[in-house]
Amino acid sequence: MGLTEHIVMRELDIPDISDFAVYRRHGGWEAYRYALTEKTPADIVQMVKDSGLRGRGGAGFPTGVKWGFLPKGVYPRYLLCNCDESEPGTFNNHQIIDKNPHQLIEGVALSAYAIEANVAYIYMRGEFAAAARTLERAIAQAYEAGFLGKNILGTGFDLDIYVHRGAGAYICGEETALMESLEGKIGQPRLKPPFPAVAGLYGKPTIINNVETLANVPRIVEKGVAWYRSHGTEKSPGTKCFSLSGHVNRPGNYELPFGVPLRELIESPEYGGGMKGGRPVKIIIPGGASAPWLTADHLDIPLDYESLAAAGSMLGSGGVIVLNDTVSAPYVAYKMDEFFKHESCGKCTPCREGTHWLVRTLHRMVEEGHATAADIDTLHSIYRQMAGNCFCLLGESAVMPIKSALQLFPHEFEALVKRSSSRNGHQIPLIVRH
Amino acid sequence: MTLLDIHQAEIETILARYASKRSAVLPLLYLAQDTYGYLTDEAIREVATILDLPPTDVFEVVGFYTLFYNRPVGTWVLQVCDDVPCCFCGAEELIAALKHSLGINEEETTPDGMFTLQRVKCLAACDRAPVLQANLDYVYDVTPDRVDTLLNNLRERAAEARKRGVSGRFAEDYEFTRDGRLVQIERFSPYRPREFAGEASPPPVTPPPAVAPEADSGIDRPETRKASPL
Repeated sequence: MGLTEHIVMRELDIPDISDFAVYRRHGGWEAYRYALTEKTPADIVQMVKDSGLRGRGGAGFPTGVKWGFLPKGVYPRYLLCNCDESEPGTFNNHQIIDKNPHQLIEGVALSAYAIEANVAYIYMRGEFAAAARTLERAIAQAYEAGFLGKNILGTGFDLDIYVHRGAGAYICGEETALMESLEGKIGQPRLKPPFPAVAGLYGKPTIINNVETLANVPRIVEKGVAWYRSHGTEKSPGTKCFSLSGHVNRPGNYELPFGVPLRELIESPEYGGGMKGGRPVKIIIPGGASAPWLTADHLDIPLDYESLAAAGSMLGSGGVIVLNDTVSAPYVAYKMDEFFKHESCGKCTPCREGTHWLVRTLHRMVEEGHATAADIDTLHSIYRQMAGNCFCLLGESAVMPIKSALQLFPHEFEALVKRSSSRNGHQIPLIVRH
Repeated sequence: MTLLDIHQAEIETILARYASKRSAVLPLLYLAQDTYGYLTDEAIREVATILDLPPTDVFEVVGFYTLFYNRPVGTWVLQVCDDVPCCFCGAEELIAALKHSLGINEEETTPDGMFTLQRVKCLAACDRAPVLQANLDYVYDVTPDRVDTLLNNLRERAAEARKRGVSGRFAEDYEFTRDGRLVQIERFSPYRPREFAGEASPPPVTPPPAVAPEADSGIDRPETRKASPL
């Protein structure tokens, strides 16, 4: 199975596509103009519902259904575009924005029209400073062309889109933490319910969608539901931008229809081009840092939401990290949990303390070479106390690396213990908190 | 001169975007940080005054987000991503090379005030590892042997960096070419006025079929990464 057609990364090879006029010449903004002049907001919601578009940020929740949760007749409403991409292994959003910003802005505008919002914010992580500038220029061009602002195309529809830069906090990708951050507070998640569709930004009905999700919307409106559903699988229609990284020959973003086998993404000369130096695959993390790990046994799994879930992992953000046999599983778990420890917002105890103690224990075992058999039990005990008890998904995600490593590669932890006891006896030095 | 005196127009533009003044706290802190070099206690209080907030609320925000500095930092803040997969693609070697060349450790600033070195978490550029940001300008493909080229280039651009500030409000992206030169990535072509003024709807053009990335020899980085379609 090869790539049939790009949906999201469609025009990245066209020179100057980030410019309004070029994008327009290639049919851009046409879906938006068509929707505003010939379709009602409800028509667009129905179209997106029928298309089966699922949120690309990680959860895979049907976008049209999410839009349908908005309470009737309650205004103002807000649309938020989540571009707080910062999970290890995931790197498609800022590249989509940097190369083809108008596609996203058209998607945001179209979706805002569909949900009857007059203000939309694109929340970008603070590190995407250059991409934010690209986006701001593109938004200014769209205003100038009369596609944003007041009384757009004479239809009476008003829309303002603003770029809001975060300032370095992964947790702000969690939808309620994003709203807190946008309200000028520290990015700690809110209790749900109420869900954002009912009481979100400033307590108003709010829809939050990922960059890639919204970038799909213009194409669905332009080409129709049947065309869209002809890509991908029955339950996961469309395509996904997979971010491939690690020990492959050609790391990069590749847009594939859902359902392509993992092996093809890694080995096809069009995509990953195989493993560097021909070394064997050891660990595959298929959906960003928070996805449970797979191994070489899983290479034939089709890349779609259901198949990966059935294999005990998840498609998540589509960030596929492939690691070869030279890596140590405990070390990978240590680095991954160090990420979650760093990004834990500190609101709930299981996450704040759990990630801290995971990293502290793993640091001693992996970096300092002092491991005891009791440490393995401690690790099991810590992640069990975290699983299901954290306030938001960040803490739950932090469980995955260590749980996967302990389940798939228990002998490597035992080897750490063995090596350590043969060298140091039972001497365990004090760890300086850092 | 207060922040409000220097940047009045910009602050008003920012405030107009939000239904609540408090929402402007991150953009205003960026502005204050670039104006004063880092966020002094006075600067933080100034932002609180502009937004009618208790200073505590703004101090809390400064403490929470990693891109705000409440202590002096170098002209260039170098942030190296050391996550998986970067740590397996040369990030540790890059950090070691930077520490050696600069003579400092992580979280330290060189005595001449030129560079601050930090380890950071995921920069979302795993395909271009080893990667760092210098004042939030991406620099891709920084293998350890390119560190001196990079540092010399940054020293030459120090005056420009001081003018732009550390918050990335004028960020650009850079990459190393195959032959080891540091070049700025062309952000976009010069802005051209829109060409279809008055034209209601130009006919949609079918986009050309997507070009598959060129087949690759499978040699190790960095040449192979060049073939990434983005």
